[in-house]
Amino acid sequence: MNTVLQLDDVSKKYGPLQVLEDVHLSVNRNDFMVVYGLPSSGKTVLLRLLMGLEKPDLGAILLRGEDVRNMPPKGRNIGYVPQDFALYPHKTIFENIAYPLLLMKKPAAEIGQVVKRAAAMLHIEDLLKKLPTQLSGGQKQRVAVARGVVKETDIYLFDDPLAGLDFKLREQLIDDLRTLQEEMDACFLYTTSDPVESLALAERIAILHERTIREIGEPQAIYVNPRHLSTMDILGFPRANLFAGKLSRKTSQMRCETRFFSFPMVMDEKGFSGEERRKVIVAVRPENILKASEKTTGCLTAEIYLREDLGAEEILYLNIQDAGLTMVTPSSQNREYDVGDQISICMDAKSLFVFDESTGTRMGKGTGDVNV
Amino acid sequence: MSEIKIKNVSKNFGDVVAVDDLTFSFPEGKVTCLLGPSGCGKTTLLRMIAGLEAPTKGSIYFGDRDVTGLPPRKRNIGMVFQYPVVYRGITVYRNIELPLLKKKLSEAERKQRIEEAMALLNLEDQAGKDTSELDNVSRQKVAVARAISYRPDIILFDEPMTNIDANSKIQFSHFFKALSKKLNQVIVYVTHDQTEAMTLADQIALMENGRIVQCNEPRILYNEPEDVFGGWFLGNPGMNFIEVDCRALDGKSLLTSSFLRSPVRVDNGALGQGVSIGIRPEHIQLHETATDNAVEAKVKRKFITVGGQYLYVLEIDAVGIKAKVSNPSPELLKATAVWIELSVDRMVIFDGKRQRVHAPAELLSEEN
Repeated sequence: MNTVLQLDDVSKKYGPLQVLEDVHLSVNRNDFMVVYGLPSSGKTVLLRLLMGLEKPDLGAILLRGEDVRNMPPKGRNIGYVPQDFALYPHKTIFENIAYPLLLMKKPAAEIGQVVKRAAAMLHIEDLLKKLPTQLSGGQKQRVAVARGVVKETDIYLFDDPLAGLDFKLREQLIDDLRTLQEEMDACFLYTTSDPVESLALAERIAILHERTIREIGEPQAIYVNPRHLSTMDILGFPRANLFAGKLSRKTSQMRCETRFFSFPMVMDEKGFSGEERRKVIVAVRPENILKASEKTTGCLTAEIYLREDLGAEEILYLNIQDAGLTMVTPSSQNREYDVGDQISICMDAKSLFVFDESTGTRMGKGTGDVNV
Repeated sequence: MSEIKIKNVSKNFGDVVAVDDLTFSFPEGKVTCLLGPSGCGKTTLLRMIAGLEAPTKGSIYFGDRDVTGLPPRKRNIGMVFQYPVVYRGITVYRNIELPLLKKKLSEAERKQRIEEAMALLNLEDQAGKDTSELDNVSRQKVAVARAISYRPDIILFDEPMTNIDANSKIQFSHFFKALSKKLNQVIVYVTHDQTEAMTLADQIALMENGRIVQCNEPRILYNEPEDVFGGWFLGNPGMNFIEVDCRALDGKSLLTSSFLRSPVRVDNGALGQGVSIGIRPEHIQLHETATDNAVEAKVKRKFITVGGQYLYVLEIDAVGIKAKVSNPSPELLKATAVWIELSVDRMVIFDGKRQRVHAPAELLSEEN
């Protein structure tokens, strides 16, 4: 039995608010599954359902193949790292990490061993005798992770544990969490609302958007070849550019037209007999908006609203008439343009994805030349 | 007129040294960002400039005036805080006007100053609105307008974008940049966010442990860190540091490492021990096949990062290095081992005390 955790058609309402609807998810032993979604998309609720702190309105939850509908949280044997990592202030770091094991009434010798092993994996061996107040934010978060993983089990849940930490700490903890998962023979189910973090950590990503999981896959595969608008829209930093568009057909060639440009399309489904004027969303990632050279045809003129310098790369926030557009380029040393300047930009039709406006399903991609 | 001079200033909180014997000048007409991780002393320094904390030792001058003992209200400074400070229940216009009433201005001049400030921050349409009706970014703009219309000698910003959502930050940054070009005051801006500092600053003063480790224009600080800390702190991820073997030869130093195909010769024979080569992830070149100056590295893993670039985590003899690649070829994406090349022009060499070595360096080709 390879699947250790499974949600089947799970729905959950809080009063009139539908938080989760028809959620399907199955996670294997050894998986590092990241559930990625915007803030307040229901990620924590999903974890609470798995831990048994909430009951689903509909659907089934299976742990290690067993329906846990009537199983209390205590019996589920899940390791958990919360977002809010409150440590007991009067207990040493050792005692903080050991606490879940004390509750399970493990013998002292075993506790000592397990705590030391967890501390070694998270590089906090030197801190075991200290009190929480003597630790920095990043050290405290390592302690919280250690406390979550001392429980010997095969399922660990992480509720956005790096939120609120500054990004240098996140950089180190991301590396360590990956290594930790590789060392432990277990499934990690990890939630975050940071796209860069989810791409860096995940073996597989589930995109939780507007109440349900829209797409699941390997991070690189779904980033490069998204099948659903949600993936294109939210998985990536900066976020993708979206344009309203409509389809039209000239002889046998399907075309897609937006306010600013139009282009020929290849449809995903051969023999698509799309109704004319179907409303669609055209999406293009910021790295696929290119600075046009003098010879390029099919260019748009945009005004630079802000130039943000990330060090290795820069984000240009542009305005085309009253519409905003975001592009990313490697940082250049020479400042040949600045805020307020006009620049000429273009797009390769192959980087344009077209989605059905009402369902979010992908319909096809651009091909050939972009016309403005 | 009012350059800020910090002279041997220290601030202790009990045993903790927040600011450590600091001497520094903030020039007029420029935005200086105090950048550093939490606990580096940047906020304490700002609060001492404002007069909200007294230094344990040392003096602070505005121009030639010693202000060390002056209370905040006598310093003629404007300050913008993390939480927008506005008076609720009155209009935007009135918010900007209130502090000006204490100044002896003609009504016409007062009106002109308010209108100027509102125009700079694009607040004209909201002049008549009650500040309770505004969102956080507009409130913060009102706080900025009030600070500048008072025409202080110095304007201090204490992480003003902390409570502003991501989309509005773009708007606030846009106005801040436009505004700062038009002001001639000393502007000090505290942040822990490197992107904010790199985007808004004319110069960044990078702080660590109560000291300013380097102050430069953003791109210079990024490309030529004087200290290992600057290389590590800036960039996402930060600089790689490769520990090298160093031996002296004919008054020069030869650096060798498994990451280098041939040694790097540095025009300084006294580098000592603990030397490292710093190189940024985006400056490492990856090839799918062997080339003259490259060494083979194992691809431990790779993932997509900012702007669709790929971050490769590479390893040689169990030592890791990170490389950032835009548009890798299909061959490179499939590779389990790659050839990496470090260009000497992109290297920053650090001595055992973590300080940059200012000496010419060259890559020795295999023939010599």
